[in-house]
Formats: sequence, structure tokens, C-alpha cells
Amino acid sequence: MTFLDVRDLSVHAGTTAVVRDVSLRLEESQTYTLLGETGSGKSLLAQAIMGNLPAGLRSSGSITVFGETSTADETVKRRRLWGHSMALLPQEPWLALDPTMRVLSQVAETYQRVRRPSESRESARKRATGDFLTLGLEGAERKLPGALSGGMAQRTAFAAVRSGGARLLIVDEPTKGLDAGLRDSIVSMLKQVAANDGAVLTITHDVAAARSLGGTIGVMLDGEIVEQGPAAQVLAEPRHDYTRRLLAADPQTWGPRTQPPPLGPVLAANGLSKRFGHHQLFANLDIEIAADERFAVIGPSGSGKTTLGGMLLGLVPPDSGSVWRRSDVPAWKFQKLYQDPIAAFAPRASLRTSLRDVVSRHNLGWKEVEKWLDRTRLRASLLDRLPDQVSSGELQRIALVRVLLLRPVLLVADEPTSRLDPITQQETIELLAECLVDAGCALVLVTHDPAIAGSLASRVLTLNPPSPPAP
Amino acid sequence: MTTSSAFKPMTRWQWAGLAILALTALFSLVAPVVGGDPLVQDLDHVMVKPSAASPLGTDHLGRSMLARLGHAARLSLLLAALSVLTAAIPGAVLGVAAAWRSRWTDTMLSTIADGVLALPGLLLIVLLTAFAPGRFWPFYVGLSLALWVEYFRVVRASAQSLLRGPQVEASRLLGFGPAYIVRRHLLPELFPLLRTLMTFGAATSVLSLAALGLVGVGLRPPTPELGTMMIELLPHYQEAPWLIAEPILILLFAVTGLALVAGEREFR
Repeated sequence: MTFLDVRDLSVHAGTTAVVRDVSLRLEESQTYTLLGETGSGKSLLAQAIMGNLPAGLRSSGSITVFGETSTADETVKRRRLWGHSMALLPQEPWLALDPTMRVLSQVAETYQRVRRPSESRESARKRATGDFLTLGLEGAERKLPGALSGGMAQRTAFAAVRSGGARLLIVDEPTKGLDAGLRDSIVSMLKQVAANDGAVLTITHDVAAARSLGGTIGVMLDGEIVEQGPAAQVLAEPRHDYTRRLLAADPQTWGPRTQPPPLGPVLAANGLSKRFGHHQLFANLDIEIAADERFAVIGPSGSGKTTLGGMLLGLVPPDSGSVWRRSDVPAWKFQKLYQDPIAAFAPRASLRTSLRDVVSRHNLGWKEVEKWLDRTRLRASLLDRLPDQVSSGELQRIALVRVLLLRPVLLVADEPTSRLDPITQQETIELLAECLVDAGCALVLVTHDPAIAGSLASRVLTLNPPSPPAP
Repeated sequence: MTTSSAFKPMTRWQWAGLAILALTALFSLVAPVVGGDPLVQDLDHVMVKPSAASPLGTDHLGRSMLARLGHAARLSLLLAALSVLTAAIPGAVLGVAAAWRSRWTDTMLSTIADGVLALPGLLLIVLLTAFAPGRFWPFYVGLSLALWVEYFRVVRASAQSLLRGPQVEASRLLGFGPAYIVRRHLLPELFPLLRTLMTFGAATSVLSLAALGLVGVGLRPPTPELGTMMIELLPHYQEAPWLIAEPILILLFAVTGLALVAGEREFR
């Protein structure tokens, strides 16, 4: 049975087409993976299929779901199927969860209210508890979404979406920001949905995820599907030039980088320990970082990588131990790059304003800004926009410019590229490495990706998954 | 993909509300000047229908309705503006302080706020009027005391999440001080919230004053006030229905205008 048949779907913003003439079919028990870079229109395509495009965007073409055909703009017809027949797992799991409700109840509620036929209160809670066990979320049942790590929130949102019982699942960037272990478990969950008489349309920029999902792959570039075919064939013998570049940018194919010789220390930490609730994140860590050194912290989701990064900067107090930072330079010589660059900018100030603020606070010249913009290959006209009006890749580079203006001695980069597609990721990492050499700055890279860490850093610290609660 | 501009433009309804409000304010400025003394009685001309000589007619004691309504509207709007400002400014400042400072400051301020919240606003005003019956200040003080908690709680909650968020952390790391964080990160996010709260607060003040006047614990006659006027004119509504309709319409205008300006809350 054909679950989804999309014909000539286009999405227009004003007069520009952001998705052009996309056709795709998804049969029962199959997976279809849309692969493409940030800003290629993948997410808009998913929203057009669901029928929840942002206001101001028009869609045309026809969409057949479970044999019922509607034109793309007849969203009401498809809306009736939401939750129990077709469901979307959105990109930002945190935004998809209710911040004021304990997570188990959110999943149980879907069993009770959305699923057809609905479950009784008791069996809904029982099934939700079962889901938490299989997804490795035991212990998190009574938590609020704010207390979950990114990976846990992602899995909770997945549990909530799946509990509606929808057989057609559209998943937007399910592996964004997850480590390899979690990625594999999410992928296997998606494959399981397909195997149980379902069908999954996945939108991703993660080549590894696309590879293990198998099924059909469509490669998207500038709103068009440029290549389509069985996963094995597309990944082994890419025909389109863009597909080849996309595959080549996969971090696993990068070579190691030459390392500069270490200089005197810029930071030293002694006996750092941190517990989170009942979990011991890490204990008795000793870290010394030399000026110019490139140091990486890797570990699975929830292992305390971000916490450790914050501790080195003095943002998070350690439970025990101490951090020494070079004291002959001002505190603002220690800087941080954020996983989600958009969260690190004042949302209502233009990027130019944000940069100008830094320039005037530290009596720098605007020439400095222009120099680094040049260096990071950014157009100065971008600065007139608000943070949410540039792409994540561009914003991360602007964030890099902002910290480099201060000529930092140490930069903590917290998953700086985990939300970028492989090509943008590779460019950003290259730039980061080059600029740090130019600025003579040490790096602490926090990442879940051993490949990036191995390619960029001279030393790697691996954090283990949190130890189980003490009895 | 989400797009949001720096400030949302006003909707058509908000403009309509602003126009209604402006008209009411204009009336409260002009009517007392044109209408003359609101207290002078003319028992030869009671309950005169609106005419060229007295545009809104006269009440049961022959007083000019134009003058009385103008004064009443002025009183209501001034009280609303005054009590909203005296509630909003300290409320917002204390809210930011509670979110910013130590746990101890937060606990103390929040406990006080919860204490005030436990006492119904109108009751507080009635209690205060017992000290100075018929005077203006108990309303002002009572309303401000009852209203500041709202600003405190909303500002505290939003400021708390903003101050713990990465944008403020990034600014601190970049070497910016508290003044910058307030100006660049807190105020732009808090202003839209405060604007909505303040318009609703003003509507509450106008309604409270009229409600207390209506039940007879408000300002004393002969002071022109919308609620007291309504209760004075109620016995005459069969002979002169337009008389009681006039203060009601002014009240309706003021509250509708404010409610429209506040705008829709967005649920997305």
C-alpha cells in the first residue's frame, strides 16, 4: 500500500520557490531519507506534507496520504490525520515538549488522548513506562523537560510521537546533536517503526544516519531533489556532483591535522568532580591545557561534557576540585562558542549592533571586525539582519568573529558544529582551526563525534556515560 | 524556520483601541473646560434632554452632565495611569532584583508578593478607605499595592530564564556588565510583556474605581465619578434613560479601548 505519494510539490515564499517540483513515494514498511544541507528546504517540505507551513508560504502540487488525495494547500484534510495516522517529530525536541509537565505523563497522555482506539489511564501509564525502559530513559520519568539532556529530550519526544500510533512518521533531523551510540538507537527505532507496518520519511543532513536507515534516499539541493534512488546505490555511486561533496564532507573521511608544539599552560584543573542528581558525572579529573593546544572532550550524551566545559570557564561550580586560569590576562580572554549559536545572541538586536557593542566595550576598531569577517568569508551585509535571519552556519561564524575580536587565550567550543550539515560543518571546523592559529588561542572542543575530535585535537579526554545511581 | 521582527507592528484592532482611548482622553480634557463647574446645581433645569445649550443634558440636580462626565473620565484615566506606573516600575525592578540576586533576596521578595496576593485587591482598597473615607489616595495606594505583584511575578519569571540562558552567559563572558545585560537582553524581551500587563492593569483600575463607587464605598458625592454617578442616576432611569447611559458609555469606551490596545495574546 502506498502511504505517501507527493507529486510536483512546490513551496513559494513570495515569488521565490524554496521547494521546487518535488515528487516522492513512500510505500508501507519502507523508509525514505531526504538528505541535504541546512537551508535546502528539507524542513519546509516536511511541513508542506504535514500541512503546517509557516504563515506567508504558499504550496502547490498534490499529496496523497493513505490513498486520499488532496492538493498541497488543502491542509485541513491532512490535519485530521495528525497524531494517530501521520505524525511529525520536529527538529527541536525541547520546543516540542511541555516545559511544565513531567515527561512520563506527556507520553502517557498521548496514549490516552491521541491514539485510536485510546488506552485507559492505567494501561497508558504502563505502556509509557515500557517505552521509557526500551528507550533507556528509566529514571527520567518524573523529570521536567528542562532537566533532560538533549539526547534524552529527543528520545522523550520520539516516545510521545510514536505513542500516538501514527503509521506514517515524518522525522526532522532526528540525530542532530546526538553521539554515535544514540544515533544508532534512534535509527533502529525508526527502522522498527517501518518494520511494524509503518513508513518513515526522515529528513537529515547526517550521512551516517542515512546510510544505516537504508531504503530510498533523495538528495536535496536548493529546494530540488537532484538525485533519488536506493540508499546503497546513491551512497556507493553518487551521480550528482553535490552528492559526492556531501559524502566527502563526512567527518569520518577527514585526515588528521598537523599539531603545533605545546607552550606554557593557560588553564589547569585539579580533582574536578560533579554529580547530577544521583549520577556521578565525573570524578577527580586533572586537566592541563597549554597555550595553542587543541584539546577535545568527547563522551556520549549526558556524560557531563558541557558541564565540564562550563566548569573550565568558571560558569559552573565543581562539587570538588579547583580550576586555575591564567591570571595575568583579563577574565574575558576566556571565551565560549555555543552549540546553538542563535541562543547566544540577543534576539532583537541586529548582528551589527551585537558586534558593535563588543567593539565599543573593548575599545576596538571596526577594522578588526572587517578583518575577521573577511577571514571567515562572511559578507558584511549579513550583519544588518537579526540572528534568526541568517543560517546556523553563518551565525556560528559570526559568533566566532565575536569571540576572536577579543583575542582570547582559550576558547571552549561546545559542540560548535553538531547542528550543521556536513559541508558547512567541515568549513566551520576548518575555519575554527585556522582562526585559532591566527589568534594564538587554545581550544577546548566539546563534541560527541570522535572523528572530529581526532582530526582537530592533539589530546582527547573521553568521559564515560554517567555511572548508575549508588545503591 | 521562524521569522520574527524586532517589534511586532500594531494590528488594526490595536489601532482602533488606541483611537477609542485617544477620543476618551480628549473628551476628559475638553469637556470640563466647555461644560463649566460640575458641582453647580440649577434646580430649575433638572433632567434636561441633550440640547445645544447643554450637549449631554443635566442630571437630577440640574448639574451639567458634560462637565461631570468630563471630570469623572479625567479622574478615572489619571488614577489608572498613576497606579499602573507606580505598580509597574517597582514591580519590574523588584522582579529583576529577585531574579538576579541571591536566593535569599528572591525568597524574601517572593514571600512578600505571595502575602499581598493572598489579600484580594478590592478588599485592600476597602480597608484603606476606612482610614480616609471618600478621599482619593486610598484608591491610588490600594490599587498600586494590589497591582505591583503581577509585574513582579511576570518579570521575575521571564528575567530568571533569560539570565540563566546562554545569551546572557555569552555577554558576561564577553566582558559586559549588568547595565548592558539589562539594556540589551532584559528590556527588549520584557517591554512587550509589560505593555500588555499595563494596559490590562489600567482597565482593572478604571473598573475597580467605578465598581467601588457603584456599591457606595468609593468617592463620596458630589465628586463626579463614574460609579457614583451611575448609582445616583439609577433611580431616574425610567424618566431619563439617556442619563445613566452616559457614564456607562464612557466606562465602556475606556475599558474597550484599553482591552483592544493590549492586543491578542498569541498562543503558538
